[in-house]
Amino acid sequence: MIEGFDNIQWHYLFNPELAYDSLPLLLEGLQITIIIAFSSMFFSLILGLVVAIMRMSRFKIFDLPARLYISFMRGTPLLVFIFILYYGLPVIGIQFTNPIVAGIVGMSLNFAAYNAEVIRSAISSVSRGQWEAAQSLQMSYIQILRRIILPQATRIALPPIFNIFMDIVKGTSLASVITVHELLYSARIVAGRTYESMTMYVAAALIYWAVCIIIGFFQQRLEKRYSRYLYTR
Amino acid sequence: MIKLEAIEKSFADTTVLTGIDFEVDKGEVVCLIGPSGSGKTTLLRCLNGLEIPESGRITINGDSIAFSHKQKKYPINNLRRHTGMVFQGFHLFPHKTVLENLIEAPLIVKKQKRAPLVKQAEELLNKVGLLEHRNKYPDQLSGGQMQRAAIARALMMEPDVMLFDEPTSALDPQLVREVLKVIETLAKEGQTMVIVTHEMHFAKKVADRVLFMDHGVIIEEGPAENILVNPEKEATQDFLQLLVDE
Repeated sequence: MIEGFDNIQWHYLFNPELAYDSLPLLLEGLQITIIIAFSSMFFSLILGLVVAIMRMSRFKIFDLPARLYISFMRGTPLLVFIFILYYGLPVIGIQFTNPIVAGIVGMSLNFAAYNAEVIRSAISSVSRGQWEAAQSLQMSYIQILRRIILPQATRIALPPIFNIFMDIVKGTSLASVITVHELLYSARIVAGRTYESMTMYVAAALIYWAVCIIIGFFQQRLEKRYSRYLYTR
Repeated sequence: MIKLEAIEKSFADTTVLTGIDFEVDKGEVVCLIGPSGSGKTTLLRCLNGLEIPESGRITINGDSIAFSHKQKKYPINNLRRHTGMVFQGFHLFPHKTVLENLIEAPLIVKKQKRAPLVKQAEELLNKVGLLEHRNKYPDQLSGGQMQRAAIARALMMEPDVMLFDEPTSALDPQLVREVLKVIETLAKEGQTMVIVTHEMHFAKKVADRVLFMDHGVIIEEGPAENILVNPEKEATQDFLQLLVDE
């Protein structure tokens, strides 16, 4: 038992009343968070697929830029990247009128690198025999990739892709540094006003968790759908 | 039907095929035999463009490709159009049902209509004894059933020549027969075939001609009886003796 358990001031950790009262403001922030997260996931998946295919090319003009891109994006902090994007690029004439757009661009570019590596490993885990069988049936590279390889790679890529998705959801909190009014930003506003920052951070954390639980539910459904051809003996 | 002239192929610094010449006539069944590493599988894969020779010429049913090590890209579908390939490891598409496996290529590559394709596929499945399994996924089939489905899949493209790469080597002994029976039926129907196999009894029964390969060259060739029963060359005798000893 902790010394003086009865004397712990629980409302310091979490004040339900304040959390409840600030819920409308938090949910407003959540909307922005969701917009950024889903857009970033969408674009980073598409870009990731392109980078993955470039990375697997036997031509250096595709492979080398892809390697460099992945190396840079994985090797630099997202926070710094978003910061430079929004405050640094205006120096060379590129200005984002809307910080939300800057956040989406930054996160898409950054997480595309992680998606690319996941997609690449999933594609190469599909056996070479699948390529050969499809080739022998005169299917083209694009046809093979789209109809034979990607559906199988998707099953393998789903768990790590959803890891990235949840990282993106939580990563949106970094957009607050470029004045995006997302979930954590809203929590901080209340925290600054009431000095009950712990309550607000806990509330925000619970909301992030809830979002991730819902995403996890969809992960399960998709995994089931993409494995239905596997016979469980 | 098939003509190979002076085919050379090497991987890194090992030569796999050295100056292969041979011809296959329409309706003929040719079995390639020989110890592992003799180049027979590589030779078969060259016919389908899965391996690209460094030099030589391959002609299949009028379409001809001359290979040279200077060139990297070839209109390889000119060869593939005439050939159907059956692999040792089946390589059915696991995310598609048996029926979907069969109609995939004609549907996508030849852009044929779906309804007649399904009918054609069902006829073929009936022929290989898989009609009742048409809506199953490959994972629900036995090895023998998978290989029979793979044969039907290749036949859907109506190839002039069927190529078999050790079609029964990955199968349990009791499943070998059902696959060989399908190939025998095709032989009786006059399907031109090139078969890489270790099944000597089968080769004797089905082959019009047997080619014995070793170290990347064709050591001897002739009617099945001659090669398998009374081989002239020592290498062939040794190889067959080894099989008997087993």
